[in-house]
Amino acid sequence: MLATIVRKEFTEMMRDGRFRSSAAITMALLLGAFALGWQHYSEVNAQHEAARKSTRQDWLHQGDKNPHSAAHYGVYAFKPKMPLSLVDHGVDPYVGVASWLEAHKQNEFRFKPAQDATAIQRLGEMTGATVLQLLIPMLIVLLTFPAFSSEREQGTLRQLLSLGVRPAQLAWGKALGIALALSVLLVPATLLGSAALALSADQGAMAASWPRAAIMALGYLAYFAFFVAISLAVSAVAPSSRFALVALLGVWIFNGLVVPKAVSDIARLLHPTPSAMEFARQIEHDIENGINGHDTTDQRAEELKQRLLKQYNVDSVEKLPVNFNGIRMQEGEEHGNDVFDKHYTALWQTFERQRQVHELAALAAPVLAVRSLSMSMAGTDFAQHAHFAKAAEEYRRVLNRKMNLEIAHHQKPDDSGFTRGEDFWATMPDFQYTAPDLAWILSRQRLSLALLAGWMVASLVAMAAAAGKMRV
Amino acid sequence: MLEAQNLSKTYSGTPALHPLSLKIEPGEVYCLLGANGAGKTTTINLFLNFIEPTSGTALVNGLDVVQQPLESKRRLAYIPEQVMLYRNLTGLENLEYFTALGSTETFSKGQLLAFLDEAGLPAGAAEKRVSTYSKGMRQKVGIAIASAKGAKALLLDEPTSGLDPKASNEFSALLKRLSDGGAAILMATHDLFRAKETGTRVGIMKHGRMMAELRTEEFGHADLERVYLEHMHD
Ligand SMILES: Nc1ncnc2c1ncn2[C@@H]1O[C@H](COP(=O)(O)OP(=O)(O)OP(=O)(O)O)[C@@H](O)[C@H]1O
Ligand SMILES: [Mg+2]
Repeated sequence: MLATIVRKEFTEMMRDGRFRSSAAITMALLLGAFALGWQHYSEVNAQHEAARKSTRQDWLHQGDKNPHSAAHYGVYAFKPKMPLSLVDHGVDPYVGVASWLEAHKQNEFRFKPAQDATAIQRLGEMTGATVLQLLIPMLIVLLTFPAFSSEREQGTLRQLLSLGVRPAQLAWGKALGIALALSVLLVPATLLGSAALALSADQGAMAASWPRAAIMALGYLAYFAFFVAISLAVSAVAPSSRFALVALLGVWIFNGLVVPKAVSDIARLLHPTPSAMEFARQIEHDIENGINGHDTTDQRAEELKQRLLKQYNVDSVEKLPVNFNGIRMQEGEEHGNDVFDKHYTALWQTFERQRQVHELAALAAPVLAVRSLSMSMAGTDFAQHAHFAKAAEEYRRVLNRKMNLEIAHHQKPDDSGFTRGEDFWATMPDFQYTAPDLAWILSRQRLSLALLAGWMVASLVAMAAAAGKMRV
Repeated sequence: MLEAQNLSKTYSGTPALHPLSLKIEPGEVYCLLGANGAGKTTTINLFLNFIEPTSGTALVNGLDVVQQPLESKRRLAYIPEQVMLYRNLTGLENLEYFTALGSTETFSKGQLLAFLDEAGLPAGAAEKRVSTYSKGMRQKVGIAIASAKGAKALLLDEPTSGLDPKASNEFSALLKRLSDGGAAILMATHDLFRAKETGTRVGIMKHGRMMAELRTEEFGHADLERVYLEHMHD
């Protein structure tokens, strides 16, 4: 019987001109978004690959120079772009995907997590994620709002309910019929997208992407199920189709626009981040004056000098068996690292707290749960950005330490022409970044997954209950 | 079997149906007569559990329609005053759908077409979309749906409204066959002639009250009209 209802709903929808046109528009937008995402992905990937090779070549062939100059010369670190990032850019446009690693400076981040962008702005970007999170729910609402109310208005509901069909079964049949109609749209789009990816992306990256793609797809399906179920529930009890439409557009606006905007404001209000300028000023101040504020650079240099003179039992820096400048630079570097650690740890924590607010706010709007899941599966969420940034910073510290110690141990105090060449540069291994695995990512998505599942179950229960309450 | 026990309905203080007791046995065709607004549709809606009774019970084959809304509906067939169908589906597809949901039996396409033919739908119309149908053609699909359900209790609300005389006549013959097969039929109608022809009993309603009940075999056509009009005078 369920199959009969599904088939009838599907047939009716396929014959409905409104479905055909709106589905065609959505399909075009989705494919357009995928195509743009794909183009962006392959371009960026090619650029990164080229840049990654050339930054290494540049490093190796920078010529003979003092290791400290080499540390200033620096290298680029690139965050590998996952194939699925073409669906969801996540925070990438706001935090960047490359990082310049040089002496004395922790890589700078632009202080603009994606959450700051309003939904309207994101709508303008027209990425796969926007289509999936906002436009398809709109399509679902437009297709589903009259499901029961227009049957009531046209009188077919009397005929139908006189048969003794369980109303909940009718609702399930309609839900699956709509799902089937939507799959006519989504399945080809997904297949096309996957095929394009499989052709262009690196095999290893693709292998890692399939399970993520599956989880992402399931997440979006749960999210769509929520919209189908809630639309049917409202349609079953609404006094008129018009009422159902207005109510459901209200749900759509609240979920897609109002809550995300309000939540990012609230998150920033609760956990404010310093401005980029203020942040840089604080770091500069602490480096200059010491973490405790009364330990200036000069004082620290003097202390180091006294300590070394005592340690080696000599009376001038020239007589030290090590190069004082090298030691001093490494000390300065480490002091800087302590300052960076203090400020960046606090900053990461603030971002993490903001993220938790967003995560919890999915209690008010399921879009926040699916957004979090989608970004994480695409490898473009903040947690994975932070993971990369920390690895890059680690590499920078190793590189600087290596350069400074080379000076400390090998440069004679009077040898101002001290240089190293390619042989030495090659002893510094290339930056190798291993992105977190799926378990690492999933462990950070437990709440979002639970809330998404909760929304879906609750909406389906509401659908069955509303159908039971339905009058002719 | 259809039975009403002190069944009544009041809309915000205004009675639409005063307590009504009525029993329609298998093989009986009970025709409800009465002016517009007399309470005929209200009575039928109560049997369908589409509206809640203010008092009393409605039973279909002994099942209380409020207590067992689905079970009781499975045992009855219903033709509304205006049969409404899915416009984007053909007549045959509509019949197929409603039959699949309402009947325990599964029918072949040939059998379904036979139901439509029996209801008087012109050959060739069955596979056209309902949006191209006339009112009478939709009514005929409704009749086919009801007869395919094979129910032992029928609720008919002016089923022949909009039917041409020939189709009305064929419908009367169909009713006769169904009641001979043991169906209990409750039919609201304005057609005194058909009521006399097909009904075994008629009930005349006015302002929600049953004014008189007659056995059709005891009256001629002229008598029925006279009694009816007498009751309509205030
Ligand atoms: N939903 C409702 N709310 C309030 N009053 C109603 C409602 N439905 C019907 N009524 C009233 O109940 C009374 C009986 O109406 P009903 O539809 O049963 O009449 P009927 O005999 O079927 O008339 P007709 O021959 O026009 O079909 C009427 O006075 C009508 O105004
Ligand atoms: Mg009526």
